[in-house]
Amino acid sequence: MKKRTRIKLKRNVVFLSHRLYFLSQSDSTHLNVNRTGRKMGNRALLALVFLLGCGGNSDREFIQNKGSDTLVNVAQAWAENYVSVDSTVAVAVTGGGSGTGISAMINGTVDIANSSRAMRGEEIEAARANGVDPIEHTVGFDALAIFLHPDNPLRSISFAQLGSIYGDGGNVDSWSQLGIEMPGCSSGEIVRVSRQNNSGTYAYFQEAVLGEGKDFGLGSRDMNGSSEVVDLVASTPCGIGYSGLAYATEEVFMPCVTVDEGSDCVFPSVETAIDGSYPISRPLFMYTAGQPEGQVGAYLDWILGEMGQCILFGKGYAPVTSVVCS
Amino acid sequence: MFQSTELNRRNHSVQKLVSILFGVVTCLLIVPVLTIMTVLVYKGGPNISFEFLFSAPTNGMTAGGIFPALLGTILLVVVALIFSVPLGVATAVYLSEYASDTWLTRLINLAIINLAGVPSIVHALFGLGAFVIFAGFGTSILAASLTLGIMTLPVVIVATRESLQAVPPEFRMACWGMGATRWQTIRKVVLPNAMSGILTGVILEVSRTAGETAPIMFTGAAFFLPFLPQGILDQTMAMSLHLFVVSTQVPGVPETLPYSVALVLVSLVLIMNAASIILRAYVRGQKKW
Repeated sequence: MKKRTRIKLKRNVVFLSHRLYFLSQSDSTHLNVNRTGRKMGNRALLALVFLLGCGGNSDREFIQNKGSDTLVNVAQAWAENYVSVDSTVAVAVTGGGSGTGISAMINGTVDIANSSRAMRGEEIEAARANGVDPIEHTVGFDALAIFLHPDNPLRSISFAQLGSIYGDGGNVDSWSQLGIEMPGCSSGEIVRVSRQNNSGTYAYFQEAVLGEGKDFGLGSRDMNGSSEVVDLVASTPCGIGYSGLAYATEEVFMPCVTVDEGSDCVFPSVETAIDGSYPISRPLFMYTAGQPEGQVGAYLDWILGEMGQCILFGKGYAPVTSVVCS
Repeated sequence: MFQSTELNRRNHSVQKLVSILFGVVTCLLIVPVLTIMTVLVYKGGPNISFEFLFSAPTNGMTAGGIFPALLGTILLVVVALIFSVPLGVATAVYLSEYASDTWLTRLINLAIINLAGVPSIVHALFGLGAFVIFAGFGTSILAASLTLGIMTLPVVIVATRESLQAVPPEFRMACWGMGATRWQTIRKVVLPNAMSGILTGVILEVSRTAGETAPIMFTGAAFFLPFLPQGILDQTMAMSLHLFVVSTQVPGVPETLPYSVALVLVSLVLIMNAASIILRAYVRGQKKW
């Protein structure tokens, strides 16, 4: 479908440029004009013909892949490695957040939308209204880690504490309320680092930690990417942040997380995400328009196969199937 | 014999003070430019090599070069110029040489001024709706360049119109007096004399087009592409988006990489500008007034 419209478009463009070229040829015969100027004009037209003529000329098939910033680096790695598997397919990867990918899916401008949250009912309906039937594929799991400055003495944190720090109406705004003395943070105030509201990470944290229907409190620093969250927390002694485990660096500390008083405190890791013991671990999705066929299908099969899952594992996410990676 | 009074002397010293003060303020303008360039060259310079410029990014974009982004930005700028320069110059010629001052031309002028004031993110959404979805170009160089072209159209129109109006009216009158038509006058007298001004507009457009990120993010630029674009209906990587991506989206990027990308982007704009400036100097040299 997509390919056909492209070919048609290309034919029109080439036709148009040829006409332009002939027009410029014919009128030079009965107009007495500056020769060099005309020559330059022709050259420019030829360049135009060349540029337009080679539009869409590739034998390569493009797969448009857009969405989640959490998945974007894995998606990039998949695209980079898929070249060695099938060099006739080019996977174009774009980030922007889960919401960006999902709206592109609804508009029908992508082949695969990446999302770190499930599509909502009304989004699926909107897509169906546009003649797109989104099919969900789970491609991996991600542990959502809490990040602290390495000097922070806090070693464990509970859902209740996170809720009173991040949630609307939460009453904890200084480290002393959590019973700790934070060196290097003279104001003692907790600097909350969060994500922008079209981020799947933002939506998942809200749903899993704050609870359904609870909102974030105002006044957090909303970052546009997971690695920005980590960078900011690493350089802010007063800071606390959350993001995918894959974005963790040596410069931040990740406390263990408990669901409620008395339950086990579990540190985030790929292993605890796989066995399900880490409480904030979520599936990562890729959505296709209808059942994946042809090149898109082959690409998804490869992603879910050993090589694709090992790349995902190498980026710090938990694979969906048990694979042995070197 | 003129004897300076107390008042004269005071006025004179105030005048001197103001001139020094304003001079210093003007010089302060150089500080940000110098700082930016120094930091970029110091941190990003050592990393730049032939290989960096002409190879593709590897290892999850933390290593390798920037060639796909470099080529992409050049393509985006060239295609945008192909669309916007003829359109902009034609509009300016019509407004300045043919149109009389009616409510319609005043409306057109108003539209141009407003187009210049539209934020680039709005242009991006317009491009997404009009070129990517409605016209069916998909996310492609064509859609992105058209968006950039429309965004920079006012720059070309305003610069061209001003340079056309700077051509003395006597030139036109002399030409008409020889029996030339309006078009012959424009073609042979007005446009050649206005060329340096038009090129200034183009220079400004190139700088803006190469640096914009928002309009191309939705319409044609990709986070990553394993291949070079084959034609203008393909997507492309671009320097400005690549800079955004390596500085904020990818973990484990070596600290110097974003600086190197920024340095190449700035140099690219400077080189493109330099080419136009040389051309403009040449055209100006041909002038007879």
